[in-house]
Amino acid sequence: MSTHTASLNQSRQVSGRRRSRTFGLNRRRQILGALFTLPTAAMITIFFLVPLGMTFWMSFYRWPLLGQHKWIGLENYSAALNDPNFIQALKFTLEYTVIITPILLVLGFGLAALVQRGDTPSRFFQSVYFMPVAIGLASASFLWLFMAQSQIGPLWDLMHWLGLIGSKSNLFAGHWSSLMVVNAMVAWKVVGLQMLLLLSGLQSIPVEVIEAARVDGASGWQRLWHITVPLLRPTLALVLVFSVAGSLLAFDQFYIMTSGGPSNSTISVVYSIYRYSFIQFKLGYGAALSVLLMVILAIVSAVQMLLLRNTDHN
Amino acid sequence: MISRPIRFVAVAAALGLLAAGCSSNSGGSTTTSAGTPTGTISVWARDAEKDFMGKLVEQYNSTHQVQAQLTIIPSANFVQKLGTAAAAGNGPDVTSLDLVFAPYFASTGVLEDISDVYNALPYKDQLVPGHVAQSTWDGKTYALPFTGDASVLFYNKDLFKKAGLDPNKPPTTWAEIRADAKKITAIGSGTYGFTFAGACGGCNVFEFTPYIWGSGGQVLSKDGKKAMLDSPQVTDALQFYRDMQTDGSIPSAAETDSGNQQVPLFTSGKVGMTALGAFAIPSFDSAKLNYAAAPLPGKDSGTASFAGGDVISVINGTKNRAGAVDFVKWATDTQAQTWLAKNGSAPIRKDLLDSVYATQGQSYAMVAKGLEMGQVPFSVVENAIFNDNNGPWVKMIHDSVFTGNIQAAQATAQSAAQKLIDQA
Repeated sequence: MSTHTASLNQSRQVSGRRRSRTFGLNRRRQILGALFTLPTAAMITIFFLVPLGMTFWMSFYRWPLLGQHKWIGLENYSAALNDPNFIQALKFTLEYTVIITPILLVLGFGLAALVQRGDTPSRFFQSVYFMPVAIGLASASFLWLFMAQSQIGPLWDLMHWLGLIGSKSNLFAGHWSSLMVVNAMVAWKVVGLQMLLLLSGLQSIPVEVIEAARVDGASGWQRLWHITVPLLRPTLALVLVFSVAGSLLAFDQFYIMTSGGPSNSTISVVYSIYRYSFIQFKLGYGAALSVLLMVILAIVSAVQMLLLRNTDHN
Repeated sequence: MISRPIRFVAVAAALGLLAAGCSSNSGGSTTTSAGTPTGTISVWARDAEKDFMGKLVEQYNSTHQVQAQLTIIPSANFVQKLGTAAAAGNGPDVTSLDLVFAPYFASTGVLEDISDVYNALPYKDQLVPGHVAQSTWDGKTYALPFTGDASVLFYNKDLFKKAGLDPNKPPTTWAEIRADAKKITAIGSGTYGFTFAGACGGCNVFEFTPYIWGSGGQVLSKDGKKAMLDSPQVTDALQFYRDMQTDGSIPSAAETDSGNQQVPLFTSGKVGMTALGAFAIPSFDSAKLNYAAAPLPGKDSGTASFAGGDVISVINGTKNRAGAVDFVKWATDTQAQTWLAKNGSAPIRKDLLDSVYATQGQSYAMVAKGLEMGQVPFSVVENAIFNDNNGPWVKMIHDSVFTGNIQAAQATAQSAAQKLIDQA
């Protein structure tokens, strides 16, 4: 290991010396490269790094939308940890994430398995399942809000006809029923993307491996559990990171479909940040909550990445 | 690695572009020749007013040297937009503003002190009291009344007849509303006695506070410093709605109505009574509904109404105060207000309410009456307490009516509202 590093350092030094000799050419290439990356770098600076820095900075202030702001140190953070509304929003967001993630994973995997043959019908269904992904989340939310509306929505009609709900029931009046409508919308809306990712994962598994298992007498379930799933783990982890991060940042679907109701029981973390910042105009406090959410997201994603890396070593 | 000067220039250039894009403020001139205001002014209004606002500005421009440019802002984002623009120093010269937000913007220095303009108005004493109170902060005037509306009880005369009630005798107490609602619900085939928007803060401050006021109660102290959501009149009003809910007189859609189902429900002809404002009248008329309006009653006697609508303000720091003041004054004068009365907004002057507005029909006359005596809860945190659909006010009403635990709901709302006031 150490000799390897040493030789690597040596070769770096050598190439460094060589680089200084052909300085002019390399320098020009460097500038050219820098110019090519400049637009992106500028965009990232302006639209990501600067706002991020400002958010962090603002989180140490009492910062009303209008009027004087005042340095208060960590007061926003200590208030957040004792804020029942924020804690409730955090709990609800976790609840939502824990429910929607397996739904997406299982459904996405099932669909991917269904459409993985490359023939025309399966290509057709690939497109069909993927289509909702192309719709905006807000439009999809409005569509489902209408569909699930009491008395007038087709989804409500269907459920009523099937005898699942009574003629006076209102799907958005209960915590569970409204969460389920949102889950159904999200599943319909994003499962196509999960399917596509898992499909590419499935197609990258060599047919020989599965054939060999079949020849060895492995049953369908055994092949799935011992061959497909382990080989698919990197893709599964990617899909998992995507859907967990997306769920932790949920906002549109609740803002539009449940308006946080019934009785504020479906307010997600981002929703609560929005409310503190733009309804109560406590921009400093909203910033502190954003920083906290970012930290939580970073931890969750890091844990998932770690799991992914360990799988690779196995 | 990008060299530092290049990066700096790029960032500076980009920021410059951004800043240029943001500050679309029209810096009009204040040059006055022979005392006549000139130049340009920018005017903001919320989208609820877009139908008449454009034509009103056109009328102004065709008769004045000052030229106004109108920008319509979505109602849902109005406070944020005006707040952020004002904080960045690039707000408009004049803004029309939902009157409930006037104390907040006056208290934060966004609005210009126009006490001089107000005191010089010949029709000063004719201006409706609710709007004037909202425009006053610390004894100074920061806005003039501009557009009006008021909450009244609409009832379906056909359903009254079908239920065996006298269509010319609307209810005058809560007990009567409840009894009538029960009889109308008893007609069956999907009819309901009463509806309201159970998940809408703004709707309920407009429709529900009058019951409390009419019974002698308050939701806030006069100076806006104390929440009074736990007062006995509030308890009674919540119990009144709760009783109608347990009677089965309220459709299930009400529980989650964030304000967009109430008008269609009443317009469908399946709902006997609902509290709304003049803004809903055109929908009822185009549906050929047989309806009438009545004052919103207190518990056993009395009536009250919420004075809604907009006030109009000059923005502090305008580069064309003379032009802005000219527009604001014109917006409240007889010509503009008379035109408004016939084009979708109640005038904010008692003389015109009687002479040109009330004469348009029975419902208009009721709204005029309501507006003349209308009240508004005065608070710099009105938005957070009342209008916010996840705020303490609507949660209190929702939980009381649909779970029945009124005491607990009131206690929670009271402490949440007081906290919002104290932290402001």
